[in-house]
Amino acid sequence: MIATAIILTGLGSYAMRAFFIFALARYSFPPIMLRAIEYVAPTVMAALVISMMTSAEGKLTAGWAESLGLLLAATVAKFTGNHILSLLVGMGSFWAIRWIM
Amino acid sequence: MSPSPSSIIVRGSIDALPLFIPAIPFAFVFGVVVANAGIPGWLGWSSSPIIFGGAIQVTLFTLLGEGASVAAAVSAALIVGARHLFYSLTLAPRFQDQPAWFRWVGSYVLIDQVFVLIQTKSIEEPAIFRRYFLATGFTFWALWMIFTALGILLGPAIPESWGVEFAAPVLFVSLMMAASDRRDKLIAAGIAMGITLAFSHLPHRAGILIAVAVSVGIMLLIHRRQS
Repeated sequence: MIATAIILTGLGSYAMRAFFIFALARYSFPPIMLRAIEYVAPTVMAALVISMMTSAEGKLTAGWAESLGLLLAATVAKFTGNHILSLLVGMGSFWAIRWIM
Repeated sequence: MSPSPSSIIVRGSIDALPLFIPAIPFAFVFGVVVANAGIPGWLGWSSSPIIFGGAIQVTLFTLLGEGASVAAAVSAALIVGARHLFYSLTLAPRFQDQPAWFRWVGSYVLIDQVFVLIQTKSIEEPAIFRRYFLATGFTFWALWMIFTALGILLGPAIPESWGVEFAAPVLFVSLMMAASDRRDKLIAAGIAMGITLAFSHLPHRAGILIAVAVSVGIMLLIHRRQS
């Protein structure tokens, strides 16, 4: 039963990843579609961040430490483009504020 | 002169390493979820190569552990992973000038971090794109296999009070900024944040899908009005 669930989920997630890559292998994308897909990466990442900062009931769980950590990480990423530095600053400020408060 | 194949592979693997750091606490969370669900460790771990998707795996075993039916648990896990359809759509043009084997293999390692990493690099040459994609994808893959095994063996090795799980949203906010190389993309990200919050009460993180679809739609409308 567990094995069936794992295999079905594996097939399903592979199918989702492969679907458009195969379905649109010979499709010539109109300009509006090319424009639309440019926004996928920023919007999915944005949605994931908020989703991780909310409880299952839909309540925002981010306090001061989380909000400031995310803001500083975003600022560092914007100006340096360095994910390690952004991670260090984000986690560092988060821990620092939690320790102070 | 174009870079040598081995240097692209090395660069892809090195670029993937820091992005894996936030997945480490998640691998330990996964280990705890498998243990709590009362599933044998090897069977739980088998989902790493078979599914290869952290949030999908955790959702599946959380629900199975709570006594959900196979159909309910599988469909919930797939809804959580449905954003991969957006990745598939976005990368479809880049896979057009690639050999068929790469469509099969590349799809298998198409995860959040690999997707954003490849989107933030402007690689035109199909062969370089392919090597870079596979290098980042399989670096992630190998690390995920190792760390989910450790997660299952060691269980809650990192105390929850440290708050290391916060590394995941920090990384994703950093990736969001990297992917927002134009002001309109940053605006789209801001809109998506608001919509996700408005729909965050929906089960299985379905708000993510609505947020992406609606914010992309809004951006297209704005663009049409301006031109």
